[in-house]
Amino acid sequence: MEFSESVRMALGALRANKLRSFLTLLGTIVGVTAVIAIISLIQGMNAYVSDKLLAQGANVFTVDKFGFILSDDDFRDALKRKDITLGDAEAIAGLSRSAGAVKAEVERGDDVRFGSTRLRRIPIKGVQGDYAEVDRTELAEGRHLTANDMARRRAVAVIGYEVWENLFDGRTANGHEIRIGDVKYLVVGVAEKKGSAFGQSQDNFVIVPLAAWQKAYGTRNSISISVTSIDQASFESAQEEARAILRARRGVAPGKPDDFGIVTAEMFMDLYRNFTSAAFVVLVGVAGISLVVGGIVIMNIMMVSVTERTREIGIRKALGAKRRDVLMQFLVEAATLSLTGGAIGVLLGIALALLVAAVSPLPAAVSWIAIVLGLGMSTGIGLLFGIYPAARAARLDPIVALRFE
Amino acid sequence: MGATEPLLIFHDLTKVYRVGDEEVHALAGVSLDIQEGEYLAVMGPSGSGKSTLMNILGCLDSPTGGRYRLKGREIARLSDDELASIRNKEIGFVFQTFNLLPRSDALHNVELPLIYAGMGPKERKERAAEALATVGLSDRMRHRPNELSGGQRQRVAIARALVNRPSIILADEPTGNLDTKTGNEILAAFEAIYEQGKTVIMVTHEEDVASHAHRVVRLRDGKVESDRAQEARRIEGIAAGSAIGRIREAGD
Repeated sequence: MEFSESVRMALGALRANKLRSFLTLLGTIVGVTAVIAIISLIQGMNAYVSDKLLAQGANVFTVDKFGFILSDDDFRDALKRKDITLGDAEAIAGLSRSAGAVKAEVERGDDVRFGSTRLRRIPIKGVQGDYAEVDRTELAEGRHLTANDMARRRAVAVIGYEVWENLFDGRTANGHEIRIGDVKYLVVGVAEKKGSAFGQSQDNFVIVPLAAWQKAYGTRNSISISVTSIDQASFESAQEEARAILRARRGVAPGKPDDFGIVTAEMFMDLYRNFTSAAFVVLVGVAGISLVVGGIVIMNIMMVSVTERTREIGIRKALGAKRRDVLMQFLVEAATLSLTGGAIGVLLGIALALLVAAVSPLPAAVSWIAIVLGLGMSTGIGLLFGIYPAARAARLDPIVALRFE
Repeated sequence: MGATEPLLIFHDLTKVYRVGDEEVHALAGVSLDIQEGEYLAVMGPSGSGKSTLMNILGCLDSPTGGRYRLKGREIARLSDDELASIRNKEIGFVFQTFNLLPRSDALHNVELPLIYAGMGPKERKERAAEALATVGLSDRMRHRPNELSGGQRQRVAIARALVNRPSIILADEPTGNLDTKTGNEILAAFEAIYEQGKTVIMVTHEEDVASHAHRVVRLRDGKVESDRAQEARRIEGIAAGSAIGRIREAGD
């Protein structure tokens, strides 16, 4: 007997018991919905996180006093370390062959005023070196800070797009004076809009020359140094050179651990991946349990179906149906049933993921793999749990089956 | 097929059931030859073994002992699937309770044997529609069994029995669930099938029904009690152009 005939018969049987079919499928629908939604959200987050983390560029590393800290103890130890100084940054820029752009940065929050508008606790970044290149900062208006600005400790500032919007309300900012804390700065540029990452605006900052920053806030702040390698291939050697230079300058004895930290975006990605892959396994496992429960329900309903249709099986056998014809009919029916549930689950899962993406900052990415996985798993479960009822149907004695009331 | 060999040979057929510790001999050595084109009634009281004989004859069951040859082929020891194949090709069943699939329309019910014979959808539908036309149900093809009268249902069953052109039409109390007039229509249809040269074997306990056959085999206690040819009583009062006429025409 042809396959299409089996499918036709299966669909007919499902239509004949619409409500029962739906209730039977609920477990499968919930399971597949969960799988699709989870996969879509996690993949969406993966894409988002890697996009944002690597926004700076893949070949940037940052040296600071703390490094990649994962525990309170590490943090307490790191607090005792020597500060990293501007001299360290200049040494890396001067001595490392693999280093391309080098930026020294120090940051604290302060109020920013223009006219009668006051913005509270805006991150004020004091920078020296190639900040525009390292951070990939583009300008919407005006110019960048120059080496001259930095050397001469000029009170000039490049402001973030959001700061510009809030202070200047759409008017040009160039040439106007703003107050940061108690100090007046001349605005020379406005950075282009970057949008937000992880729910935080990336356009809320003011950049000033590091020397000017230190004049206002003092020199007793550890700075962080961000370095790009000249190309991707020398990323590792740039880190090694920076490490060697700093160890020498800070007098770290051979064999002792670094008293500073080197951080790359890749480290955050790894941490994130570890976290999400664990969450992924757990969530998919839970969804898998509901799929198995769904499979058991399908098996149960197929048993009922075989009993109900004992006479039909007898008739079919009397008319020449072989064992495998009957087996095929009920297997296809179970698979069709669960595939239908899988398809509904896929649609609901996509809808759920898009809904979550719409009402929360979590992004969603619906992938073909998720859909194929959802449909494949549900069909597989239908086949697996359909085998036993189908085999029972196939083994029925036609005489007994024909006499069945 | 051998020219001299009968269509069907039973030789010393036995069937033993175990009920607990007891052995029940449903058939205790039945020998019977049936020629092609015979119209034969199998009679007997309940417990005589006629149901068992019919099941074995219809290849629904295997005998415990003895031989069963159909069209020159020994089939007493075939596997389930081989028996299924013979039922499909050689036997057309007509049951007392019609045994149509309740959720399928008349056309699909008649298609079933062709589906299991592996015929393609187009040819199959044509053949099924033809078979329904011969029993006068062309206008009822899309009706489900519950939308048909008892007589119409049994005619669908006859169309289904005929559709794969079997060697034997095997009818089990085919008029048992029908009133006399409708029953006569069905018997007229069998008569027409017989006149077309097909072999008709009917199991019944009604003398009146058996009187339409040309040979009557009576069973008692699992053995043949008598086996006689008889002058068949013709069906009277069935209008021309009804079931008989159409089946006759289809045979030409």
